[in-house]
Amino acid sequence: MSGFLDSYASTITFMALTGVFAYSFYAVLMAGQLSLAQAGLASAAAFTSSLVVPAEPLFGVIPRLVVGIAVGMTVGAALAFLLGLPVMRLRGVFLAIATLAFGEVVRILLINQSWTGGAEGLSFPKLVGIPQAWLALAVVAYWFWRLGGSRLGRALAAIREDELAAKAMGIDVTRHRMMSFVTSGAVAGLYGVLLAHFVRFADPNAFGFSTAVEGLVTAVVGGTALFIGPLLGSVFLTALPELQRAIGVEAGWIRPFVSGLMLLLVILFLPGGLAALIPHRPGRVGHPDALPDLPPLPAAGTPIASLRAIRKDYGGVHAVHDVDLDIAASEIVGLIGPNGAGKTTLINIVSGLVPPTSGEGTVVGIPVGSGVPAHRIALAGVSRTFQQIKLFDRLSALDNVLVGAHRVSRPTLLRRLILLPSARRDERLALAQAFAQLTRVGLADRARQAAGDLPYGDQRRLEIARALAAHPTLLILDEPAAGMNHVEAHRLSVLIRGLADDGVTILLIEHNVRMVLETCTRVVVLDFGEVIAAGDPATVARDPRVVEAYLGAEDDGAESA
Amino acid sequence: MQQLLNGIFLGSIYALFAIGFTLVFGVLDRLNLAHSAVFSTSAFVGIELVARAGLSIWVTLPIIFVFGGVLGLVIERVAFRPLKGRHDAHFAGLISSIALGAMFLALLQAGFGPDTRRFPPDAFPQQRLEFAGAVVSVLQLVIVVVAFALMVGLTLMVSRSRLGRGMRAVAENPHAALVLGIDVDRITALTFALSSALGGVAGVLFALNVNSAQISMGSSIELKGLAVIIVGGLGSLPGAMLGGLLVGLAEVFAVTYVGSSWRDVIAFGLLFSILLLRPQGIFGARQVREI
Amino acid sequence: MRRLTGSIAGAAVLTLALGACGSGGSSTTGSSGSSALAGSGTGDSCKISRPIPIGAVFSLTGAAASYGESQKKGLELAAAELKTKGGVTYDVKTEDDATDPKQGIAVFERFVTNDKKSLIIGPTLSNTAKQTDPVAQEGKTPVLAVSNTAAGITEIGDYIFRDSLTEGAVIPQTIKAAKDKFGLSKVVVLYSNDDAFTESGYQAFKKALDANGVTITKTITFSKSDTDFRAQLAVAKASAPDALVVSALVEAAVPLVTQAREVGIDAPIIGGNGFNSPKLMAGAGKSADGVVVGAAWNSASSGSENAAFLAAYRAKYSADPDQFAAQAYTGLKLVDVAVRTGCSGERADIKKHLAELKNVPTALGPYTMTATRDADTPAVVQVVQNGKFAVLK
Repeated sequence: MSGFLDSYASTITFMALTGVFAYSFYAVLMAGQLSLAQAGLASAAAFTSSLVVPAEPLFGVIPRLVVGIAVGMTVGAALAFLLGLPVMRLRGVFLAIATLAFGEVVRILLINQSWTGGAEGLSFPKLVGIPQAWLALAVVAYWFWRLGGSRLGRALAAIREDELAAKAMGIDVTRHRMMSFVTSGAVAGLYGVLLAHFVRFADPNAFGFSTAVEGLVTAVVGGTALFIGPLLGSVFLTALPELQRAIGVEAGWIRPFVSGLMLLLVILFLPGGLAALIPHRPGRVGHPDALPDLPPLPAAGTPIASLRAIRKDYGGVHAVHDVDLDIAASEIVGLIGPNGAGKTTLINIVSGLVPPTSGEGTVVGIPVGSGVPAHRIALAGVSRTFQQIKLFDRLSALDNVLVGAHRVSRPTLLRRLILLPSARRDERLALAQAFAQLTRVGLADRARQAAGDLPYGDQRRLEIARALAAHPTLLILDEPAAGMNHVEAHRLSVLIRGLADDGVTILLIEHNVRMVLETCTRVVVLDFGEVIAAGDPATVARDPRVVEAYLGAEDDGAESA
Repeated sequence: MQQLLNGIFLGSIYALFAIGFTLVFGVLDRLNLAHSAVFSTSAFVGIELVARAGLSIWVTLPIIFVFGGVLGLVIERVAFRPLKGRHDAHFAGLISSIALGAMFLALLQAGFGPDTRRFPPDAFPQQRLEFAGAVVSVLQLVIVVVAFALMVGLTLMVSRSRLGRGMRAVAENPHAALVLGIDVDRITALTFALSSALGGVAGVLFALNVNSAQISMGSSIELKGLAVIIVGGLGSLPGAMLGGLLVGLAEVFAVTYVGSSWRDVIAFGLLFSILLLRPQGIFGARQVREI
Repeated sequence: MRRLTGSIAGAAVLTLALGACGSGGSSTTGSSGSSALAGSGTGDSCKISRPIPIGAVFSLTGAAASYGESQKKGLELAAAELKTKGGVTYDVKTEDDATDPKQGIAVFERFVTNDKKSLIIGPTLSNTAKQTDPVAQEGKTPVLAVSNTAAGITEIGDYIFRDSLTEGAVIPQTIKAAKDKFGLSKVVVLYSNDDAFTESGYQAFKKALDANGVTITKTITFSKSDTDFRAQLAVAKASAPDALVVSALVEAAVPLVTQAREVGIDAPIIGGNGFNSPKLMAGAGKSADGVVVGAAWNSASSGSENAAFLAAYRAKYSADPDQFAAQAYTGLKLVDVAVRTGCSGERADIKKHLAELKNVPTALGPYTMTATRDADTPAVVQVVQNGKFAVLK
């Protein structure tokens, strides 16, 4: 056995090290960010550690490698933060290219320094072997395992699936993305220090474009949905050339060809990466009973939102023009009007996604247009659904609603890391809240299904459940009955009235006029951005201006959108 | 003046390479990282045609255009078509094109060996011209002219022809295009073919410019190509042209005034500033959608 | 979940184990057959019954593939010639490190532990060697480097040898000869600063130029993968130097020399060891005439060993050899001398006799192993004349 270990020591160690590197990609891919700066970050960390690793254990006790790792991870995290500041607003390909460019700049900077040895590189003492590498990998993997079931982990997954919806659920997207960036930097720094102290050498060229691409490939091949993915990817890709060597594939062009082919096959036929091969046992579907302690909702009649002279202009178009709106607790306010009347724009203003051009008012106590970001308004108690359903498609229905419960649940990651039971309790409370909402909309039996797989009507209801999980003061529904038949729309109407009875205030956009008349306590009609009528439903429905602009003759009025 | 011309010549090749990238990205929203392998492969095949088969360079260029096109069809069919409709199509496409590119390069080594290839000495007229105190070779002029002709031709084709209209429709909204009866698959295939055809010609021109082709010649230009399309605007054809020239000029001036060690830093610095100040690039129309 | 992780890791390890068993390593405990690789006689009359296992690690794919290919050819030529000699047979296995140090380390481990090679030749790149050679040193397996020229290679340990002259050993001679011939007072230095070899060449050039009182008016860097140097050459030209001093690999040297002549730089070009390849003349044609090259191998030498090498190489491969091939070829020949001297293929014996090599006639010239296990062969300053290398007079 020891002979085997000796002849494969490096391969086994590299499996762990490239696994660590792959985790640094996983950290950002979890949040849907394609960042390729990790190679440069690892490089900077490795070389910086060469400056600080002492010849003897620090204070006689702290191992040299630990000093190196601490410094390396700090450097990696700090540089990632600095890089993140300017690139945080980039997405997709732009982000990838910007981070790639950063990596190249780091490489060139380091090559031109004399303290790195330039192209000739630097020697390092050997401080890392199989135990250290696998221990580091285990710690990193543990972190990501615990992250998976935590509130933070769900928030990152939500951001990956749909950033805007995540924002509307109260998640500070920018902060979370930066957190995943910094984590990725720290893990990349760890990799750099470990690698240099294993192979006894580092030169800036070893951390270039192709290294970054290799790390990305490892992470994607392993799979980015499950925490074990990067480990699988690294085992597979590290073993591949050695396997080819072992089974006698001749040295030369055939090996890179076979490697490329294997990679292609995995990507084409295993969409979730190697991690998808692991049969996913859905967790226990316990039905916890204890609901979290939630603050009482405001008493009926309390002013919730009050807007004056709100205007929104897009170029020359007056999307919203001089609108006044008042909403009091337990009201169900219906907002109707022809397409393009400005309804969605108005609720975007109310929920803080869009600032008004002028006008003033408050929503749940926060002044409108004050620059308060949308997620803060969500955290203050405003929840919403969207006209084109914005669910987190690849997450289960339950997970979707759990993200909705972000506002009323407590962060659990740090406690999960040390396996504190209070974390488990808080998770169960969040779970209870989520289940309660699923039950409320009648989807409790679909809890484990992926949201993207649900039928249309269920998806609409799921979105409502998700919005409810936040225990909102004001719930905004944007065309929740779109595409529903009479029966479903009626059921929805009953649900909505039940919510108002529970104390939730509702602002509702709908084209289904019959449903609006049935459900709402008050109706506001918009046309060309202006309020043309407001009042109790029956009166508004008879208003000639409203009939002219929108309702048409009586029998047309019952059409759903 | 000499440096200005150097920058223009260098930039025109960068532009020709980048325009293939930006075409695929603009129409199909995909980044094709096998483009550099097409670049290298076409250079080798071009040299082979001139050296072994004795063909003139003027005949070789159109042949390579077609050859590149065929490679593009293969890339689309093998690396991108199977991923249609998949949630992670973006990442997966990146990686599948990387994998396919690696396979191409391995085959290239199998066929030609790992050594550098060169054109035979008499493949191209060697004359040099004087222009405003600078020395220019006929070859460089031809390269610029061919590159620009191709790019202008492409721009015209996209804006005037039926294929171009189809491409623009697919770029705007593939679903709507499908519903309107446009054969999206065919447009996709043709876009890749066209992009790779241009990349192939760029490879041969590049090899002519420096009289050498190496297996790894694609990777360094690939990074520059990415910088170019960002600077010019993703999806914008005139942007790729202008971006290429800008990057080429920036590099040359960096060498002259800053110091050649920092040459690439300048190019990437330019990239960074564009991304931060004007992320859609100089001509890009696509807004970096925040909402 | 933990069980699954465990079983997957276990499966991977199992697969590797199967692979290990399958690769035919002689996994018998080594010490019992300790005299199996020793024989009787000495020198040409030495007879060893078992073939001596030699492992070679070259970059056959990846960025350094063109050098690895040359080395493999040189090595195989030497192996073929040694086969006909008789008495001692060598089992030479060449492996590819794909220009990836990780794979290099893995192969070295295999050679040292599993396959129990008596000696390892390679790897191609110095920066890889800094990572792989310690494995051999710890495993007490001699390594003969045939292309590593960086500092810090033989320092790794007493089992590490090399037959490749460093730039530091070659360049001082080059500069002195060039100064004497051309009367240099100011030069422009160009080099690729992202390659360890050319970086070491630059350091050597700088030192030698300073020592000879030659002023460096401008230092221009480029990237080793560059092929368009017009911008840099325009800057160089503006400085009107007496000569261009270039530390570059041959891939860059060819276009650099060609373009230098194109843009009108007529000053002499002085190159380092990277220029020492027939590819220079093949690629740059007429432009290469007059280029001065400091070389660790005199390709024009008519010494009997070299003449025989050139003839045999041309006959087998229909092409001229370059320095990589010459050094790899010589490497195996040196190993043969060391084995026959002690008439033993055991690692410790080979190590002992490699260290003692003195004035061995080789294609590189008379070879002596220095006390620091580096090569001592006559360096030469060459000049390109009529498409061939000639010694600079």
